[in-house]
Amino acid sequence: MRELFPAKQVMGFIFSLVLTVVALAVYFLNLSFAAGLTILVITAFVQALLQLIVFMHAGETKDKWSIYGNVAFMIFIALVTIFCTLFLFIWDM
Amino acid sequence: MKLDHSQPLEYSTHQNQLNFFGFWIFLGAEIMLFATLFTSYFTLENRVGSGPSGAEIFEITPVVIETFLLLISSFTIGLAVHAMRIGRQKAMIGFFVVTLLLGLSFLGVEIYEFIHYVHIGAGIQTSAFTAILLTTLGTHGIHVTFGLIWGTMIILQIKKRGLTAENAGKSFIFSLYWHFLDVVWIFIFSFIYLKGMM
Repeated sequence: MRELFPAKQVMGFIFSLVLTVVALAVYFLNLSFAAGLTILVITAFVQALLQLIVFMHAGETKDKWSIYGNVAFMIFIALVTIFCTLFLFIWDM
Repeated sequence: MKLDHSQPLEYSTHQNQLNFFGFWIFLGAEIMLFATLFTSYFTLENRVGSGPSGAEIFEITPVVIETFLLLISSFTIGLAVHAMRIGRQKAMIGFFVVTLLLGLSFLGVEIYEFIHYVHIGAGIQTSAFTAILLTTLGTHGIHVTFGLIWGTMIILQIKKRGLTAENAGKSFIFSLYWHFLDVVWIFIFSFIYLKGMM
């Protein structure tokens, strides 16, 4: 039975639960908007990295730099799309 | 097909390795799909018209339940891939079934949430905000629904043919898809719900 629950994945799972509870703090504590958003940005991106590396096995093959490169590029384009749109339509710059 | 026994079963054919890389490219495109939805959401979230705002309709309990259901299912599909790698077919199918049941429960809570929104007057036609909210959540929900059907098909194939390089590859790709849906949900949870309720 034990061999079905490898330590790396169990630790990854516990860490992802901790990150979720920390993110929930912004709801239960009375934080400023900036402080709350900072916490959310950190917990969300750490959580995404955790899934990518621990659970999606992104680093275990020879083409790992093609995989990381592809994901990093798409995240870059995603952030450019989101923030450039906000600049134009919401922040009015 | 040539089998390379020095690697886990799912990596043992060249075709599978190409399929995995191809699926990563697809996930890159999926990142962009959800990025455009988030872009529209952030642009329209304050355009509530005469309808309710996020702070008025979001409820913490169903959101927390949905989050934990998906987090646990992401863990169990990871365990399924591990069980597959050590050749434990029964355990693997068990973890697959648990994953899909958790996914189904997630969908149940989400459908309840949608009915609730419509019931309190926040349907898809109410305002720009409710339209983009339900479109973003719905796109994720449709992905989960598709995953449930896909996962069931994979279980049936493994039951029928046993673990082969071909269906091990399919299972691994399914696990990538499922983890990806969990990542998308984390961003929905953080930047739609928690940000809206802050």
